[in-house]
Amino acid sequence: MTDNQQVPFGSGMFQGQAKFVDYAHMNQQDVQMNTLDEPVLDTLLRDINMILYKLSYVIIPRMKETQGRKLRNWDLWGPLLLSLLLAMTLGINSNQSSDSIFGTIFIIMWGGSAVITVNAKLLGGQVSFFQSVCVLGYCVFPINIAAVLITFLQSYLGFFLRLIIVGAAFLWSTFSSLSFMSSMMNEEKKVISVYPIFLFYMFLSWFCIFI
Amino acid sequence: MDFGIQNQTDEQKQANKEYPIQNNNEGNKNQQGYCAFLTIQFYTPYFNVTETDVLQRIQGTFLPLRPDFLNLIRGNPDLWGPIWINATLIFLITAIANLRQIDEEKENQSFVISYVPQATALLYIIAFGTPIILAGVMKFLGVDLSFFQTICLYGYSMSTLLPITILCYFQNELFLWLIIVYGFANSSLFLIVNLKEELDKLQIQKKYIIIGIVVTMQLALYLFYKLVFFSYVNK
Repeated sequence: MTDNQQVPFGSGMFQGQAKFVDYAHMNQQDVQMNTLDEPVLDTLLRDINMILYKLSYVIIPRMKETQGRKLRNWDLWGPLLLSLLLAMTLGINSNQSSDSIFGTIFIIMWGGSAVITVNAKLLGGQVSFFQSVCVLGYCVFPINIAAVLITFLQSYLGFFLRLIIVGAAFLWSTFSSLSFMSSMMNEEKKVISVYPIFLFYMFLSWFCIFI
Repeated sequence: MDFGIQNQTDEQKQANKEYPIQNNNEGNKNQQGYCAFLTIQFYTPYFNVTETDVLQRIQGTFLPLRPDFLNLIRGNPDLWGPIWINATLIFLITAIANLRQIDEEKENQSFVISYVPQATALLYIIAFGTPIILAGVMKFLGVDLSFFQTICLYGYSMSTLLPITILCYFQNELFLWLIIVYGFANSSLFLIVNLKEELDKLQIQKKYIIIGIVVTMQLALYLFYKLVFFSYVNK
């Protein structure tokens, strides 16, 4: 078969030796073929833009359904970065056993997301596993902000001021994740599907008080 | 990208067509075999509760001598309670034990993270391990135990610890021992009264083995609670 010969095959055309152009299903596959040649910086920037775009949805929680569409392209980079940041912030500031704090926070975050998702599925909700883990991970961002703030302003903040900052971060996280998750839960069992999310963010934010 | 992609899709389509038909004919239980307990569908019937049910069941544990609890869970034991009551307890233990220490030293305010794995291991082993031990022992003695009902029972018996943990914030040693003893008595009574109908299938001497196991595990739980988590803090 020579290079430029076109042979029909199914719904596409078999072009040359290695490129099968399937006209019926051509959109995603074609785009992915072209991204193999681009510079690494472009790939990284595209991923970072995606993460920042999702973070903007977390910061400004929207109750409308339109916001769900972009978050459906789940990715786990954002939750990974956020969990590492949180675990490191909390670990650096403790005087003793910083490695076990890192490990515990990491496990609580990922294990907790998994358990909450399985719980929602068992209660009959229409959740997709990784989508839900992605949303729960991204919504830890306000708690991250609170942890970093408390780290930098350590000596100026008394106990009650820390409590207020952490409380605000907790409410923000919970509200933000609820605006996405509650549409996927079973109607009659909403409270018992949502309570674990509440407990999860409370757990993570409680550690920030003690930095 | 893929050569012969057409053939693969046809085969896959055929395989996908056959599988759901088999599913409908044989029903869910028969075709799953020995690894059924690893699927989600196996556990779905045990999550058939709403929040009012859960609250009623928790209320039923505070008055152990009334037989309300068994009537509430009859035919519908749930697993939501055991899992999440224990998770709440882990959070409360960590929060309150750290809060107790924060009042003492103003300089070294680092928090003790080791309560989290300790509490997780303790609570989940007692809440899920003891029913497994009981089921094994009862089977050895020749009687069947309704497994999920016992897990449900054990899980909800932990809800006695919810107010106790919150009250453990106070530093008074005598008060702490009093509420620990009250909690131990309350939950042991609750468990024994509700296991009574299962125990009646056994002879009298063998009943005491089961009661002994139950009481020992509760004792271990409450002692661990007092001595490790909420031990005496020097002022």
